[in-house]
Amino acid sequence: MFERGKKDDVLNDATDGRSTVAQRSHVPASTSYAGQRGECAVIGQSIQINGDLRGNEDLRIEGDVSGTVELKNSNLTIGKAGKVRADVYAKSIAVDGTTEGDLYASERVVVHVNAQVRGNITAPKVGIEEGARFKGSIEMDPDAVEKALGKVNMQRNTKADSEPQRARPTETRPAASKTVARDLASNSNPPAGAA
Amino acid sequence: MGRATARAARDTPEALNAPLFRQLAERFDETQRHVVLDLGAASTPMLSLLGRSPSRVEIADLAAGAVIERLNAAAPGDELDALAESSLPGHDGSEPVDLVFCWDLPNYLAPRAASALMWAIAARARAGALAHALVVYAERGMPERPGRYVPGDDNRLVDRGVRAGEIAAPRYSPEAFGQLMHPFTVDRVRLLANGMQEYLLCLKP
Repeated sequence: MFERGKKDDVLNDATDGRSTVAQRSHVPASTSYAGQRGECAVIGQSIQINGDLRGNEDLRIEGDVSGTVELKNSNLTIGKAGKVRADVYAKSIAVDGTTEGDLYASERVVVHVNAQVRGNITAPKVGIEEGARFKGSIEMDPDAVEKALGKVNMQRNTKADSEPQRARPTETRPAASKTVARDLASNSNPPAGAA
Repeated sequence: MGRATARAARDTPEALNAPLFRQLAERFDETQRHVVLDLGAASTPMLSLLGRSPSRVEIADLAAGAVIERLNAAAPGDELDALAESSLPGHDGSEPVDLVFCWDLPNYLAPRAASALMWAIAARARAGALAHALVVYAERGMPERPGRYVPGDDNRLVDRGVRAGEIAAPRYSPEAFGQLMHPFTVDRVRLLANGMQEYLLCLKP
């Protein structure tokens, strides 16, 4: 279930309706994922996550994520099946699916054809392909980007100080993907239609 | 010229020399911050141009999702005013807009809808803000849907819009267009090679 595998294996698992959270995926260099070269974690199509998602490795979301996504030093791809209702912070963000919330990237945001983005984008470089749907504001001032990303760091630290008893949010770590998968699964809502 | 080459040449949109747009584009080589409202769809070439200076860009994409049709059908008064405001992207009011790209969208708006929209824009713009627009003038007809203009080489405009059918163009005179775009007033007008008139308007204090 949580074995390392190729991208195709992950997609096959997803079509079988089995959990595919945080599996390793080999993404070909020719694909347009957000700066990914080689492995990345994948949240599969049948997975729903409600809450804070943090990590330090590249991630591709094909499932349904609500809350906050923080991958400050890593790349995030929201795949064609991905639905994200969250404010997203990452090094770079590529959107093929649907997002509702603000996107913050220290390097770039790319909105691919057929993607739908509702919310604001803050990044020094932004690309929007013809056919993509976007309505909102785009902040490209590097100082404003830095300020926005710094502000969320401060908010997170303040929140952590004021809520010491609260359970740690979900984190993805490169060296412990099996544990990560279990953590993510336990924090996830059951898939739509599940009992 | 072979048949295929001729077809390719016909299908490739011609780059349009629009001097007023070029002048505006040159402003983005400076370090000054701009707050831009783009009534058209977002495009990478336009964002690359605007991103040369530390800008904030608000994208309205009025041509998508039947926004134009809803504005044209709205009852005048509060309903139309509210719809005009909601058709623009959210604006926190912290920084007023200083440049508006209308493209050819005013040709597709009923006069009262265009007026309501410009008043809604004026409410979020600073005094002295500029608006750029393209008006079909020489031709009697225009494409059924608004164009999708992007800056090309030398900041010439390329229309990447899909050309399906044709409808009658309103062919506003400068005076009529000035009334339509009130409270923005016409500052400069140029007749372009494709028969459109290019306008630069200014929001007077």
